[in-house]
Amino acid sequence: MTDATLAPARQPIVRRYPVLLVFLGCLALFTLGVTILSEGFGIGIISTSFVKTLGKTLCLCLVALAMDLVWGYCGILSLGHMAFFGIGGYAIGMWLMYARTEIIVVQSLSAAPLPPTAQEISDGIATQIFGVVGASEFPPIWAVAHSLPLQLAAVVLVPGLLALVFGWLAFRSRVTGVYLSILTQAMTLALALYLFQNDSGLRGNNGLSGLQNLPGLGHVPQSTISIWFFWASALALGLGYILCTWVVSGKFGSVIRAIRDDESRVRFLGYPVEAYKLFVFTLTAVIAAIAGALYYPQAGIINPAEIAPIASIYLAVWVAIGGRGRLYGAVIGAAFVSLLSTYFTGGQAPDINLGFYTIQWVNWWTVLLGLSFVVVTLFAPKGLGGLFDLIAARTAPDRHGADLGPDVGALREKEAEK
Amino acid sequence: MSVFRRFFVAALSLLVTLAALPVSAQDAQAPIQRLLQEHGEIIAKSSRRTIGPAIDALAASGLDEAQTVLERWREKEMWQNKDTGLFVYAEEIDRRTIRTFDFATSEALGEFEDKAYKQLKPNSGIRGLISAALVRFQLTDPNPQARTAALNAIERDADETHLAALRAVVDAESDANIAQRMKRLERLLTIRFAEEDAERIAAIQSFEGDLGVDVRAALNPLVVTRLDVDSVLPNDADVVRQIEPGTDALDVDSAYALLVSKDLAVERISRDAQKAALIANIDGGSVGGIQLASLNTEAGRDLAYTALVQQGAVEPAATDAEVRETLENFAFFERYSAVSPEVALAAQAVLKGIENKVAVNQTIDLGLDALSLASIYFLAAIGLAITFGVMGVINMAHGEFIMMGAYTGYVVQLFVPDYTLSILLAIPLAFMVTFGAGVAMERLVIRWLYHRPLETLLATFGISIALQQLAKNIFGTQARPLTAPGWLDGSLVFNDIVSISYIRIAIFVLALLFLALFLIVMNRTRLGLEVRAVTQNPRMAASMGINPDRINMLTFGFGSGIAGIAGVAIGLYAKVTSEMGSDYIVQSFMTVVVGGVGNIWGTLLGATMVGTLQKGIEWLNPSNTLAAQTYMILFIILFIQFRPKGIIALKGRAAEA
Amino acid sequence: MFGIPNATPCATRKGTQMSKRLLTTTAALAVMAALPAAAQDCPIKVGVLHSLSGTMAISETTLKDTMEMLVEQQNEAGGVLGCQLEAVVVDPASDWPLFAEKARELLTVHEVDVIFGNWTSVSRKSVLPVIEELNGLLFYPVQYEGEESSKNVFYTGAAPNQQAIPATDYFLEELEVEKFALLGTDYVYPRTTNNILESYLKDKGIPAEDIFVNYTPFGHSDWSKIVADVVALGADGKKVGVISTINGDANVGFYKELAAAGISADDIPVVAFSVGEEELAGLDTSNLVGHLAAWNYFQSADSEANEAWVEAWKARMGEERVTNDPMEAHYIGFNMWVNAATAAGTTDVDAVRTAMYGQEFPNLTGGTAVMLPNHHLAKPVLIGEIQEDGQFDIISQTEEVPGDAWTDFLPESAVLVSDWKELGCGMYNTETSTCVQIKSNY
Repeated sequence: MTDATLAPARQPIVRRYPVLLVFLGCLALFTLGVTILSEGFGIGIISTSFVKTLGKTLCLCLVALAMDLVWGYCGILSLGHMAFFGIGGYAIGMWLMYARTEIIVVQSLSAAPLPPTAQEISDGIATQIFGVVGASEFPPIWAVAHSLPLQLAAVVLVPGLLALVFGWLAFRSRVTGVYLSILTQAMTLALALYLFQNDSGLRGNNGLSGLQNLPGLGHVPQSTISIWFFWASALALGLGYILCTWVVSGKFGSVIRAIRDDESRVRFLGYPVEAYKLFVFTLTAVIAAIAGALYYPQAGIINPAEIAPIASIYLAVWVAIGGRGRLYGAVIGAAFVSLLSTYFTGGQAPDINLGFYTIQWVNWWTVLLGLSFVVVTLFAPKGLGGLFDLIAARTAPDRHGADLGPDVGALREKEAEK
Repeated sequence: MSVFRRFFVAALSLLVTLAALPVSAQDAQAPIQRLLQEHGEIIAKSSRRTIGPAIDALAASGLDEAQTVLERWREKEMWQNKDTGLFVYAEEIDRRTIRTFDFATSEALGEFEDKAYKQLKPNSGIRGLISAALVRFQLTDPNPQARTAALNAIERDADETHLAALRAVVDAESDANIAQRMKRLERLLTIRFAEEDAERIAAIQSFEGDLGVDVRAALNPLVVTRLDVDSVLPNDADVVRQIEPGTDALDVDSAYALLVSKDLAVERISRDAQKAALIANIDGGSVGGIQLASLNTEAGRDLAYTALVQQGAVEPAATDAEVRETLENFAFFERYSAVSPEVALAAQAVLKGIENKVAVNQTIDLGLDALSLASIYFLAAIGLAITFGVMGVINMAHGEFIMMGAYTGYVVQLFVPDYTLSILLAIPLAFMVTFGAGVAMERLVIRWLYHRPLETLLATFGISIALQQLAKNIFGTQARPLTAPGWLDGSLVFNDIVSISYIRIAIFVLALLFLALFLIVMNRTRLGLEVRAVTQNPRMAASMGINPDRINMLTFGFGSGIAGIAGVAIGLYAKVTSEMGSDYIVQSFMTVVVGGVGNIWGTLLGATMVGTLQKGIEWLNPSNTLAAQTYMILFIILFIQFRPKGIIALKGRAAEA
Repeated sequence: MFGIPNATPCATRKGTQMSKRLLTTTAALAVMAALPAAAQDCPIKVGVLHSLSGTMAISETTLKDTMEMLVEQQNEAGGVLGCQLEAVVVDPASDWPLFAEKARELLTVHEVDVIFGNWTSVSRKSVLPVIEELNGLLFYPVQYEGEESSKNVFYTGAAPNQQAIPATDYFLEELEVEKFALLGTDYVYPRTTNNILESYLKDKGIPAEDIFVNYTPFGHSDWSKIVADVVALGADGKKVGVISTINGDANVGFYKELAAAGISADDIPVVAFSVGEEELAGLDTSNLVGHLAAWNYFQSADSEANEAWVEAWKARMGEERVTNDPMEAHYIGFNMWVNAATAAGTTDVDAVRTAMYGQEFPNLTGGTAVMLPNHHLAKPVLIGEIQEDGQFDIISQTEEVPGDAWTDFLPESAVLVSDWKELGCGMYNTETSTCVQIKSNY
């Protein structure tokens, strides 16, 4: 790929990115620690509901990684990646609902005097699933819901194709910058509105529920299942981190960073900018979808509100607060902000009594989050990840040169050393 | 013991009688009271289905007090004594006490606790019947208002006696307006109740081309049809048309069901009935000689059923092929079922003419709706056309400026109870509040980010989230009332189809005013000149002595201020909640982007397109408004693919800026 | 807001211990037989699972306050089983997945004995699997679409046959409406309710073309076209009535447009299932006088219990606050739970559940509510006309109507019954005489 004279680039990825090893080590330790403290496999200090929260947080970290890749490295501020996250959840949710209901229906029909026909079973499942929204027939969208492999394929293919088509349309007509952001936001909004309709065939506002009960595993307690999903989420995050590191390393990574910094120049240098952007956009959509497919069985329910534009904006918030343009920053941001949100909106945070007014965190947390976002953008564009630079700066000699480009907020200098 | 008890009861009842003495002043034998007592049970029961005789008896009694009774009753002022069952009318003094009056004498009977009485609350169905009964008293009333009330009552609940009553007074009516309404009503009643066909046809034809809903309401029942079937199509006058089974108008199942109901065909068997029959004939492990295990397909069950038929265990049932064959032997058709064919045909002819006109008018109405929606979108987007279109600043908190404007209106109404005055105050105040907020935001946040548009977007999002939650903390999440002044109530009615509410007209006018304001400020003032200069080339403008900081600040404030005024208008027609801004933000950006950034005419065109499109999709799919919004956004996404710079794309130097 | 429940347990724990000692020494002989062997853990914890932030906060915060008031009143009256009650309030923040998480937290971390909570159907569906898995007990206070019966949930709000069907009957019989516009917000409650109503109206001989159905998004504001469509329905001479399941904010725009179009309740009556005293607070009702709402409770109900209730509420929350139907549902549900726990002598879920069947408690509108074996209440249905002051004038009140978990007007549901007492099944198919499933469908 690269010229032999640029030999340092041929070093193993772990050597070039020591952070990768540190991250994977931390993740493994964390997973082990939670397992030992859990109810299902350990001494039961961490409640099952908190294990679920942690597992979900890992999934959020994974989607934040994807967001960092597409925004922090490629410069595409997508305000629609939670749509792909949601589609992944819906795809796996359809199978979970179908299979669980099928077991119930087959069991109940087996008691009938005549053996049930295939049609009767299918009708029974449809009535069970859609009775709640006043329908009793399967919409065509559920055609392959009975098959786990096909639905798993859908987890990857549907968001991938959507991203491919949308990205192709958007990038080929050179929609960039804020226009692209607004366009992706419109896409999420359209998808959410579509899913809100009962006619969409995915149970409208109710969405798919009871996803935490795995079909055929009714006898396994949730404390065990929650750990399984926690492991799966940790594994996915680890693999996702390796994949993202691999993508941003080497020549490909340099090109997408160059696209972020000056798209026209890269284009004039002869690179197919659109193809690069399309690849990153689609890849991150697929990563987001996989994260979603792991997230929603832990959350237990998915509905269109999860896809609302605000969710994708929060995703951008996490990455920005964590520090974009560095993968561990995204992970830190997602974990930090979402856990903090859980704490403050949970009603556990103590109120602050000012004498004349009592600040209740459930009401003021969002205000604080919004304002902190402004503050981070204005004063700390490197986010929480910037703290690591401070530590690094203490040990390394100061070799800072001038800024490398027109965009004051970018982080190219550090990357240029690589 | 029992003697004591009897004595005690007697003493008690004596006491009760004594206590109730004031009531006994009421004459229980007065004719009106006796009439009421006669129907006391159904009056107390108060159900429209059974109340008829009571109202009729009162109306026909010829008693002078009957009108009072009916009126008081309708106004929920009639009470019944729980012990004696006597009826009185009463006024409430406070929550627990009422002052009662005798119907017969209209004299006050005294003040009582309302616990002893039951208030009669006729529902609106009964009130309609009472009003209809009062017509005969009111039509000849010297007060024109009473006569109008009578006409209203006839319009709502007409019966055949009203026709004669109307005819008796129509020529003597002195008030021209009322006389006109009476004549029209008389013709409508003629259509509905007249005996003679000729009379009805004449009345029908007099309504040629009339768009009133009441006319169609009178005509449509005349042309109702019912489905009929015969071996050949009969040549009767009342046959409307022949219908083929298996089309949209008549599906095969209902056609066949009609045949079955007329004993012209044997019944079909449903899957469920088949299953039940099979279950009933289970014999050991098999049905009709076929193993149970193989009955898990429909084919297997059909086979077993046929076997049962052959055994004579069940009735034969028609197969699909037999059904098709049978249907071919019959002709299905509709015939008029309500009135004689002549009247029906006359009504049909007039209706046809009316319906064409209705279609035209509905299109106009839809157009008005679309225009109104477009003006609302335009109003919401015009502030954005300045901050985003002219300055290129992405302000995601724009929607929250709209919300702030609306809440300003709400707060003003808290202090100024007069709605007209409060709105007049609210508009400049909303401008000032949001202008201030805009300037503050520009100074504190946006000016540091002019070179980083993506970060502007995120920072303003943060502000948007914070402002929304702040509004929730201050005003609560429930919708707050922002009431339009009385003169904006109601609609401008062209006819029964085309109408538009005054509030929407006001919004439309406001949108036009803003357009004019924008054009004047941008093209005719020094500020506009400087704004254009700063947007095109800030350094050059600065070297010409323009202070770009000041201009940016003012422009942003101006755009935000207009959003605030838009908020007042939008709050007047819809609702004021903390989330109202986010309802408009994406649409507003779409409007500006579709129209073409940097050009106010583009924004106007964009709003028109978005509004028209949405109404058009709603018209195509009237039962699902949500779908309209989804498809509209999809369309806009596609539109931007093919015209990324919008309808009106800037060219030349302005486009480079 | 959280100060009160957090403060009470510390202050009362000592009191409860003392009373416990008293019990054991003096009244032991008399009470021994009634109390189970294991004494109750004090204090008894009552979970309150209502959103205090987010879109549903406005409706649900009221219910949280109601629960705190009820718990306080009960503690003043001596608590339950010799224990003080402690309300454990959590905030699921109008986030449906968070409801499931918080329910798990209430049951496993706080170990509450009973939960009062939820408003929207989707939040209930989110909580159901958790409650059933951990064998919790939930009292759900809001009118809903039915088609559900969980072993672990008591539905104290109205089922469709306790609100929608009687209101439709009122339209058919009292107002002689012949043509129906079913307008709703596009979510599960209006969808299912309208489905049931369509089927019911067809049974009553209303042809399909005389039923107009429309769904709008949450918070819809542009109503001109829909109102014009409804007016145009009257063109064939039939009386038109609107059955509205429009939710929340969207009602503001809808009623404003109705008023602007000059549609009076005498021409086209509107009966709403989701508009109560709280919702009317955001509206100028002078143009809406005469339009209808159907509930099991109105603040204007004329009874002494209600007067005391409204007075206590206003004294606690402020003079301008109103009471509404779900509050009464919690009032009945809470008192029934207290009585059932007292009767069972324990707060154990299964024992309380068994004791709940047949529990009677006077409701606030006069008459008595009874808990049926299908976990629904028998309650009267009230129809009220909107008045200028934002209150309702009750013009019709039925006898107690037993709540029906599975509607009789949809073919798939007509064969199903729920009877947890005799059959031990919430979804029993009477045709095949089998229990379709023990867990509920979510």
